[in-house]
Amino acid sequence: MSHTTTNSTTAPTKTLAGSITGFARRPEFGALIGALAVYAFFAVAGGAPFLAPGGSASWLNVASELGIIALLVALVMIAGDLDLSVGSVLAGSSMVLAISSGYYGLPTIVGILLAIGFGVGVGVINGILVTRTNLPSFVVTLATNFAVVGLTLGFTRLLVGSTAVSFQADPWAKFLFGELIDGKFETAIIWWVIIALAVGWVLYQSPWGNWIYAIGGDVVSARAAGIPVEKVRISLFAGSGFAAAFVGVLQTCLYNGSQVAMGQSFVFNSIIAVVIGGVLLTGGYGSPIGVILGTLTFAIVNQGIYYTGWNADWASLILGILLLIAVLANNSFRRMALTGGDTKSKGKK
Amino acid sequence: MSATPILSLKSVSKHFTGYRALDDVSLDIYPGKVLCLLGDNGAGKSTLIKILSGFHAPTSGTVELNGKAVVFNSPKDASEAGIATVHQFGGTFPLMSIGRSFFVGVEPTKGWGIFKRFNKKLANETAVREMQSLGITRVTDGDRLIGGLSGGERQAAAIARAVHFGANVLILDEPTAALGVKEASHVLRIIMQARNKGVAVVLVTHNVSHALTVGDNFAVLIRGKKADDFAKGQRTREEVTDLMAGGEAMAELEAELATLTGAIPIVE
Amino acid sequence: MKIARFGKATTFMAATAIAALSLTGCSTTTAAPEETATTGNTDGIDVYVIGGMPSDPFWSVVKRGAEAAGAAVEAAGGSVTWLGPQNYDNLGPDAGKLVDSAIAAGAEAIVIADWVPDAENPAIIRAVEAGIPVIHYNAGGLEQADATGALTYIGSDDYLAGVAGGVAMAEAGSKNILCVNTVPGSANQEARCKGVKDGAESVGSASEQLPLPSSNFGNPTAVANAIKAQLTKDATIDGVITIGVQDADSAAAAIEQAGVVETVALGTFDLSDTQLERIAAGTQLFAIDQQPWLQGYLATSAAWQYAQYGILPASRPLLTGPSLVTKDNVDVVSAGVAAGVR
Repeated sequence: MSHTTTNSTTAPTKTLAGSITGFARRPEFGALIGALAVYAFFAVAGGAPFLAPGGSASWLNVASELGIIALLVALVMIAGDLDLSVGSVLAGSSMVLAISSGYYGLPTIVGILLAIGFGVGVGVINGILVTRTNLPSFVVTLATNFAVVGLTLGFTRLLVGSTAVSFQADPWAKFLFGELIDGKFETAIIWWVIIALAVGWVLYQSPWGNWIYAIGGDVVSARAAGIPVEKVRISLFAGSGFAAAFVGVLQTCLYNGSQVAMGQSFVFNSIIAVVIGGVLLTGGYGSPIGVILGTLTFAIVNQGIYYTGWNADWASLILGILLLIAVLANNSFRRMALTGGDTKSKGKK
Repeated sequence: MSATPILSLKSVSKHFTGYRALDDVSLDIYPGKVLCLLGDNGAGKSTLIKILSGFHAPTSGTVELNGKAVVFNSPKDASEAGIATVHQFGGTFPLMSIGRSFFVGVEPTKGWGIFKRFNKKLANETAVREMQSLGITRVTDGDRLIGGLSGGERQAAAIARAVHFGANVLILDEPTAALGVKEASHVLRIIMQARNKGVAVVLVTHNVSHALTVGDNFAVLIRGKKADDFAKGQRTREEVTDLMAGGEAMAELEAELATLTGAIPIVE
Repeated sequence: MKIARFGKATTFMAATAIAALSLTGCSTTTAAPEETATTGNTDGIDVYVIGGMPSDPFWSVVKRGAEAAGAAVEAAGGSVTWLGPQNYDNLGPDAGKLVDSAIAAGAEAIVIADWVPDAENPAIIRAVEAGIPVIHYNAGGLEQADATGALTYIGSDDYLAGVAGGVAMAEAGSKNILCVNTVPGSANQEARCKGVKDGAESVGSASEQLPLPSSNFGNPTAVANAIKAQLTKDATIDGVITIGVQDADSAAAAIEQAGVVETVALGTFDLSDTQLERIAAGTQLFAIDQQPWLQGYLATSAAWQYAQYGILPASRPLLTGPSLVTKDNVDVVSAGVAAGVR
């Protein structure tokens, strides 16, 4: 191509300092610093038990389940929406699996497919409601969160007469979804990696990624540029519904049953993880690597405190402070990405 | 005028409940020429742009493309007809990279089937090349965020995008309004470059100096009506300014200001 | 002060609501009462029973007990009406309003859970002064019943239940018992863990509390891994008691993951199928049942009998629990669960 020659002459020579500032401008930089800092902190404060495989499993297990949801919630948030319904979708799909395969004895695969279908279905309903009504997704998904709680509770008691249903997964399902590797690590960790790769592909490699950023950046311009905005938003809600349902399946297989009261902690924890990971609450900005780091940070703080021997009464305080610091740091790094860190421009201005 | 207009408005009116935003306006837009649309706030410039770019359909009158009447049902229809609109802040995505935002909605891909993926290298190189061809040589890295560019550079990115995707008609809505003097002159230079590439440019502005610098033809809107149209060199700046502000009112204001401030003349 | 033993479902509803409110910053509207009249009124005594949300698993068992007692009331021409709040966002004032609603509706006997005495007692005293027989149940204890002039208290005692659990686990050989509290700060859960501690110490063992923050709520993985962390860090822990059945499931997973199934005993407050399965399988020592069905049944019966015939049980308070479900009685209890009375 002819233009490559002109380009190479004008391209700046990459220096070490240049690549460091270049990296510091990436959205996940703040999240990386945060994750490393809390890990180092708890490695010192928690000592050998925290660093042992069992200790690592503690926060990895928590991070993997939260991370699966956080990654797909992050896509929703990058596109400028919120999904507060993941908590009840998790509980609802878990209950769908436990009731259909545990209580009614359908094959495990049928129960899992129904559960996933339930999650995707709620996501699609969220998406349609949000795009058709133009109401804020915050309100719509908050409403569906409550609605699905009621639906789950009502149907569970109607069908089973109890709020807890036990379920023994078939060996293959137990192996895939509810196994503890080496007696410590949940299979959810592997699923998290797979889903992270998929989300990374969508965001960075497929045109969809561009559309998601564009919709979050400026929905009017995105529509004018010919992006199928409604289709993308509905798909993203379906995605977060899928993730919540998937974690519901994982927990149901792992804990051999379902409780109607599961899942609500995921609603805000997923948003917290996503925000610590550098995604802008207003949308248009963020990266899956950042979200993974944010999730790890959250999980390390959440679980690490139990290895320190301190009174766990303070755990929430530390989480709150961490969240505030993370958002402040992300803010500074984003400003750096927009204005500073550009050594090339100095000569010209 | 020898050439045929690429885009024409024939007696176009647009009525909203309660008022007439546009009243019997006719305009001709020629390739390779800059038509400056002048008018105060509320004169109907935005409505006119929205009709040209397919957001609104006219209440009466017709839009003609290359001499044939057309109906734009959506902005998509207009953009497919080669009409591109660039808004005041560039209409782009501040937190996206230059390369990505350049190709929003028309992403280049490489590979096949499920391995089909966004061709970031091509996108970045094309975006940078197109911006440089408009004289923005400072931009060399397509990974930089749009939000990190200056206002003029963002306009340039948007104009480069429109030109690259084959816009025949480029509508620029107040491109210089938010810019400093240097930046504004830069954008005006880019407008001239687009014009020289044969693009028909509609420059909407209330800055008479900017209009007179780059315009070939001019139309002045006052309260929804076309008050005047003229070619380059047929009016002085003062005449245009007076006309835009409603003539006498401006003269009165100038007289009043002169007594207040000790006769400092008002330029522009 | 004690508040109701919320089932987990209820606490998470409240937690969600609070979380949502903290984001939106809007104020809580008063919960509309949910009324379920079991019969129309003819000639007998109209008993109003004020309890938790009907959707709460714990309270639905209480309600079933009240309905069972209602059969006798209806046979005598009276009625039993269940009043419950729609949510627990504003429990004390809402319950107080329900008492006033009952008075206004012409209640001839009232059964009330005194969760938040400061907020509820004024309304209860209005009922007592209006000559309506009032019985406290489930929460508040005899102390509050005496404060309002109510006839008696029928229910369990969190502290005594905790003591029973602590003693039972210590006597089974545990020297250091971890009491896992997923709702730290809640008076009744604190009382349970304090009871466990005092009970364990009375037999020469020790106990400490593990408070888990609300950010872990409803996530069995987070709770399980927190418990596992404690078990890993402190090898002297040889017993775990949880405040609810879902936490017990998490604790069972934690004990398994930490590889200490042989050495760490497990017990919990409240009952569910999985508890019974583990008790029957021998991997769980006990579940502490406060017998909610009995609370609804006895309190409703007592209120009606007093209003109709002036009969009142002589023991004050009338305790419905704790009742320990262990391997010895698990079969009988399982039958009760299947019948919906446990």
